[in-house]
Amino acid sequence: MSGLKRMMLGAIAAGLMAGVAPAKADFWSDAGKELTGTTIRGVSESTPPSNYVKNVLAPAFTKATGINVEFEATSWDQMYDKAIKDMEANTGIYDFVYIEQDAVYGYLARDFLVDITKFIADNPKLKAPDYDPANFTTFANYFKGKDGDLFGVPMEAFIKVYLYRKDLFEDPAVKEAFKAKYNRDLAPAKNHAEYVEIADFFTQWGKDKGIELWGSTVQANTGHPASWYEYVESVAPTFGVYNWGIDASNNYAATVEHGGKMNSPEAKKALEFWVGLLKDAPPESTASTWDEVAATFGAGRAAQGLVYGENAAWIATDESKSKVVGKVGVALPPVEPGVMEAAEAGTGYIGYYDGGAFGIPHSSKNKAAAALFLQYIAQPSVQADWAVAGSRITLQSTYDDPKVQAQDAKTDGYYTLMRDQGKLFAGAPPYPFHNQVREAVAPIFYQAITGELTPSDALDQMATTAEAELTKLGYRK
Amino acid sequence: MTRPRPLLSILFWTVSSLVTLFPIYWMFVVSAKSRVELFGKPNFIITTFFSENYIKTLTDPTFQKYMFNSIVVATTNAALVTTLALFATYALTRYKLTGKENIFFWTITNRMAPPAAFLLPLFLLYTQVFVVGDWKLFDTRTGLILLYCVFNLPFAIWTLRGVIDSIPSELDEAAFVDGAKTWQVIWYVILPLAKPGLAVTGILTWVFAWNEYLFAATLTSVHARTITTGLAEFVTVTGTNWGQMAATAMLTLIPAIAFLALVQKHIVAGLTFGAVKG
Amino acid sequence: MRSQSVGWLFLAPTILILFVFGVWPFIYVMVISFFDWNSFAADPTMRFSGVQNYRALVFDKGFLMALWNTLKFGVFAVTSQVILGYLLAQLFMKNFPLKGLFRTVHTLPLMIAPVAVGATWRLMTVPGLGPIPYYLDKWFGYEFLISRYVGQAFMTTVVMDIWHWTPLVTLTLLAALSSMPKEPFEQAQIDGANRVQTFWYVTLPMLKPAILSAVFIRLMDAMRTVDEVWMLTGGGPGSATRYIGLYIWRVVFPKTDYGYGSAMSLITLYLTIVMCWLLYAGLVARRDLKRPE
Repeated sequence: MSGLKRMMLGAIAAGLMAGVAPAKADFWSDAGKELTGTTIRGVSESTPPSNYVKNVLAPAFTKATGINVEFEATSWDQMYDKAIKDMEANTGIYDFVYIEQDAVYGYLARDFLVDITKFIADNPKLKAPDYDPANFTTFANYFKGKDGDLFGVPMEAFIKVYLYRKDLFEDPAVKEAFKAKYNRDLAPAKNHAEYVEIADFFTQWGKDKGIELWGSTVQANTGHPASWYEYVESVAPTFGVYNWGIDASNNYAATVEHGGKMNSPEAKKALEFWVGLLKDAPPESTASTWDEVAATFGAGRAAQGLVYGENAAWIATDESKSKVVGKVGVALPPVEPGVMEAAEAGTGYIGYYDGGAFGIPHSSKNKAAAALFLQYIAQPSVQADWAVAGSRITLQSTYDDPKVQAQDAKTDGYYTLMRDQGKLFAGAPPYPFHNQVREAVAPIFYQAITGELTPSDALDQMATTAEAELTKLGYRK
Repeated sequence: MTRPRPLLSILFWTVSSLVTLFPIYWMFVVSAKSRVELFGKPNFIITTFFSENYIKTLTDPTFQKYMFNSIVVATTNAALVTTLALFATYALTRYKLTGKENIFFWTITNRMAPPAAFLLPLFLLYTQVFVVGDWKLFDTRTGLILLYCVFNLPFAIWTLRGVIDSIPSELDEAAFVDGAKTWQVIWYVILPLAKPGLAVTGILTWVFAWNEYLFAATLTSVHARTITTGLAEFVTVTGTNWGQMAATAMLTLIPAIAFLALVQKHIVAGLTFGAVKG
Repeated sequence: MRSQSVGWLFLAPTILILFVFGVWPFIYVMVISFFDWNSFAADPTMRFSGVQNYRALVFDKGFLMALWNTLKFGVFAVTSQVILGYLLAQLFMKNFPLKGLFRTVHTLPLMIAPVAVGATWRLMTVPGLGPIPYYLDKWFGYEFLISRYVGQAFMTTVVMDIWHWTPLVTLTLLAALSSMPKEPFEQAQIDGANRVQTFWYVTLPMLKPAILSAVFIRLMDAMRTVDEVWMLTGGGPGSATRYIGLYIWRVVFPKTDYGYGSAMSLITLYLTIVMCWLLYAGLVARRDLKRPE
């Protein structure tokens, strides 16, 4: 409730500010003059940042320009499916579509999207005065084509961080018991061995005290790709296995035999570690996607875990949803030796830089109006409230906003971490075949979670299956 | 056994009802809780009622629109299907049409297709074929109403067939001899006798239309979206917003129950039907 | 008096609608099934591949597994529904206090959208939230975790389906029982038939069309189930509850493998038709088929 209220107040404030600054107001109404009465339609996944656009920014845009916005916020699967069908069939239903970071490569490969940089350059009348592509964070690079032109305007961006229960980690009784048992001080884990020790410790602690507390969250849904994503995006890289273990430069090899790393010893170690965490995880973990993991942590059922940053804000600050307000610590994920150095050197990464952008499909019949809208939501003046509501940041200037800094303090420095350490994280590998390979290997992966297959066997089968699928798709020759 | 034993039967029905109601009750319990209260030891007794789940849903214009769409689509579709099916079944049972057994079986095959693969051609049909100027069949209630006929008509025809078959054709022969027109026979002879069957068909086609998700999710966008797509959005997206999802589900029960109450008495009307034939 | 043309006229709207919205997409799917077409393949265009998709299906373990699981699911669920539904319908034919209320209660599950049904059952079975695992553990020390144990997940989908769809069978059979003539029963009583004989020789034959249509509808809907199971388990654990409808959905939606998914749909459709035809021919004797004339 308070979150929503704050959002609404913020919107009103933003509206007032727009009214005060005459130059800006002039641009939007001038630019909108010829397009007044046009209706643009967009599709997006219904996430907190999207809903902010739908409920706050779109109406404000309509007020400023007279262009109507129909914003369809739907589920993840549906969003993909409909956007792809529309662009594939060249129907022109949508004037802007959500592009998840990992989908952009597929869309670019199919040339579905309008080159926004070029489009605005060709139509200088549409260029908003305070739209500044240079202000975007490095996350925008994921949406750039070969020549550096932008194909999507970043809309949300997060990193998947290591959350821990600060209150428990600082509790003297806990610290003492931990030190007695492991002969070292309790602190957020730097490597996997420490992480497992802490997980074991808190699971036992929960049992001993008769409270519902476990050592770690695990995003291990056995019927949803979320589990596969946690492994390839957040666990395998910390063991030095990048890009799903597929070597694009080597004929898309996945098996060790052909030069891939999907079933390499490091990968097997990573999966063993991750599946092993289940014994220290609350029982709902095998039914958990990203949302449930956040809910589990927010309910105070886990002492530590990897949680998508988009949830960090509400877990740490919203008392109507979270039981651990003010008790959340934020840190970098634990890694194997050498991985951090590789990430700092730019040859590796330690986790997922997630997010999405809005792009304009070639099939759109209202490209000018859509381009205006995308610039509108990329204005620096609308960013701060949006960042507070959805813990997303896409402009560098947003970090300096007092509202964001206040929120930063409440979330144990999540925003600072994202600014300073964001470079250690990376988006999904530049493959156009994400869904295809994922769907092919995920069922085998689920069997590793249920224990029907050992991690080693599962990875061997997955690597072979991935290569077969890539051959079928025509990428692997 | 024909002698009623009221206590025993009440006991049986009470237990059976409790079992049936349990999942619905649990949904209600969830809908009465805030997000932070959900986890932990399950509690069946509702001590505090978190009304925000309901208020938020009820005051949401999107919810109102989705609900309205659902009611319009389901009701129109059920009426259309029941009417068309009555005529079709009458034709199939009373007329000597060449290949009618094949037509009859063919109708049902329309319901058998796994829906997913058919979404692509339907999407193309709705966005590129049925287009007049700016108007598309895509994202219209009409589009859904017509499409739902594909799985509802076969069902209705199959259900009604048994019903109309069991009405002795001597009755309509007699009416024809008395000089009645075909529509009069259907209206005055068939309709009253087929009432229980028609009521059940009406209820079930309404339910199928009301419940449909995949087609509605793909073939609508903003204007014609139905409440089931809204429910799915709650679950898959806000993921853990179970309370509000449950509240929405509870609210969607209200029109369904109202419709059921409205139509159900016609099933009862049929209970005395056997006597008519004598 | 009964000219054929009037009959055709009555049938025309039904045939027209089914043709436009049923047959046309069917033809499209059939054509696509002979092509290799994936929007995100190295070559995203449609390439004719003959019967390659169909050939691949025969060796697709996932597909065969899904078919087998679906069949198992369908048989378990539908058999239970018909037995339960018949018993309930018979009981509703008697008079007892508060009958209207009890009948409404027993119809309620039907009125809940499958999406919501799946979500509700999920809420009942997720550990930490749901009462079922909690009390099974507390009272019996039984670990109930459908996201981990294949058998439990399967049984839960079956029970959920029974809970949700038995009312359909009850209603259908209730309508059929209500519109049955009384004379044959009176005759049977006069002839001194006992209850089993009456059921076997009088009730069952007259109820056959209704039972058949209930079985048909339920069986083919079980073959198409997507949303309920998708909400409850997502097809997991592993692929234990990934029934064919859900499997096809995964192939044509996220995987965008249109050609292959189309072939899969057609094979499934074909198998369903054959199964239903066998049932139809087996259960309905020839004379029943001809009776309308």
